[in-house]
Amino acid sequence: MKIFKPLLYLAILATFFGCGKRYSIVRSARGEYHIDSTLTLDSGIVKTYLPYKRKMEAQMNAVLGESAVALEKERGTESLLGNFYADAVASEARKLFSFDFTIPTTKGGLRNEIPKGKITLSTIFELMPFENELVLLKLKGTDVQQLLNFIAASNGQPVSGLQMTISDKKPVNLLINGKPFNVADTYTVLTSDYLANGGDNTKGLATPLERKTIGLRVRDALVNYVKNQTASGKVINAQLDGRIKEN
Amino acid sequence: MDELKKINRRQFVKVGGVLAASAAMSAYAVDALAAGDLQRLTILHTNDVHSRIEPFPMDGSRNQGLGGAARRAALINKIRQEQSNVLLLDAGDIFQGTPYFNMFGGELELKLMSDMGYDAATMGNHDFDNGIEGFYKQLPNANFPILMSNYDFSNTVMHASTKPYKIFNKQGLKIGVFGLGIELAGLVDPRNYKETQYLDPVKKGNEIAALLKNELKCDLVICLSHLGYSYRENKVSDKVLAAQTRNIDLIIGGHTHTFLDEPEDVKNLDGEVTTINQVGWAGINLGRIDYYFEKRNGKKSKQASQYQITNGL
Repeated sequence: MKIFKPLLYLAILATFFGCGKRYSIVRSARGEYHIDSTLTLDSGIVKTYLPYKRKMEAQMNAVLGESAVALEKERGTESLLGNFYADAVASEARKLFSFDFTIPTTKGGLRNEIPKGKITLSTIFELMPFENELVLLKLKGTDVQQLLNFIAASNGQPVSGLQMTISDKKPVNLLINGKPFNVADTYTVLTSDYLANGGDNTKGLATPLERKTIGLRVRDALVNYVKNQTASGKVINAQLDGRIKEN
Repeated sequence: MDELKKINRRQFVKVGGVLAASAAMSAYAVDALAAGDLQRLTILHTNDVHSRIEPFPMDGSRNQGLGGAARRAALINKIRQEQSNVLLLDAGDIFQGTPYFNMFGGELELKLMSDMGYDAATMGNHDFDNGIEGFYKQLPNANFPILMSNYDFSNTVMHASTKPYKIFNKQGLKIGVFGLGIELAGLVDPRNYKETQYLDPVKKGNEIAALLKNELKCDLVICLSHLGYSYRENKVSDKVLAAQTRNIDLIIGGHTHTFLDEPEDVKNLDGEVTTINQVGWAGINLGRIDYYFEKRNGKKSKQASQYQITNGL
């Protein structure tokens, strides 16, 4: 805990001609309380939030599915967690719109790992606590090139529908949806509104030819994906498939 | 007023401040308080509580075990028993940060603030996280006003939901409180704030503060601000607001989650003091600022009067 150095501060009040106020400030004293375990609890407040807490824990502890392996953020150019995330978002979004590839988050946006075994709603909230929306960006080939350069320069990002080899921090052997990248073409990229607005210093997304919000939150896509896998009798079994390799 | 004992924050927290401060007051001050010539106002404040209903979990993280609405409420109740004139204020970003918000949309946050007796709050950018409709929908859970003077909500569902300011009367004292919000473009998805128009906070702040102090005769003017404490780049902040306005005595800030060691006193355009305070985030701290006021006799005006500022109550 920090200690205030006692400080006397003399403040000049301006003249008050004709303002008709009835009181003037003669002194001010300030401090701060640290809210810690030394304080007592207000039982009324606890009583108010307890039903919410129980409901929240009941829902957040709801099991959505299961992962065959621990989905972690490896240091390499791709990770099980990143591949799971990008493929899950792509799978759900493709039910609504078509697009060429997705970068739904950066590595920094993977907020928590998924342990092997049960996946609860809480697991997904911890992975993705934000309310970011998915957006479709129609991009000029030159902007896509910038985005690909960014992905390579940052040693890979979570992507789906895109393959590249990183050679000397530059992207080579580029395949989008299995076809070679052509800088003269336009591409439709699925990403989050956060990245589309310049979050995490992402490059190439700032001047799309078109931008469309698809009405699906990133987290909802993840939740729906796990639920749907479970409904069709599958467990999550993400793979490292060499979508981003290092040369 | 006589010499006042200066109590550091540690002692302040430990002894509960108020009694200690009263004990330190001179006999004159006590008599004056009793006669109503001296009035004391206690302002309690939070900012950026971010749906932190319970203390941070004990998971080894930096803030583990800190915060919690039930503790804050008990503390506030205790202070209210000790003081007759208390204002409890919040500077926005009530919403977002724990699954309580994701699940209940802010209902619980506003209910608990109502139970705690908050007198007013302003809006932060995260209060738009479920869209302007999401905030609007939860307003029936708030029994305190949302003060906002630089968002024009005319073309939105919130057109009749906020007030630019509110005047509180406390035993003869008039305290004017108003709210200022941060620019939403680039920070909040336009789909969420819809047709909310952002108005220049310095211009608006000056207008409202002049109205409150000069025309509506408030003894104290408080701004609840979600502009942020200070920025490196050329962007309006509480420090800019304080320096470029008149008539604001106190800015209770938010947004930047700033843990100030002590409130900052800035000279405003009139050379008077505008105090800025912000107490971090997540309900880890409760800020407190007490003002003592002296009744002035008749039309006698004070020339270059001074007031004494003490850190530690």
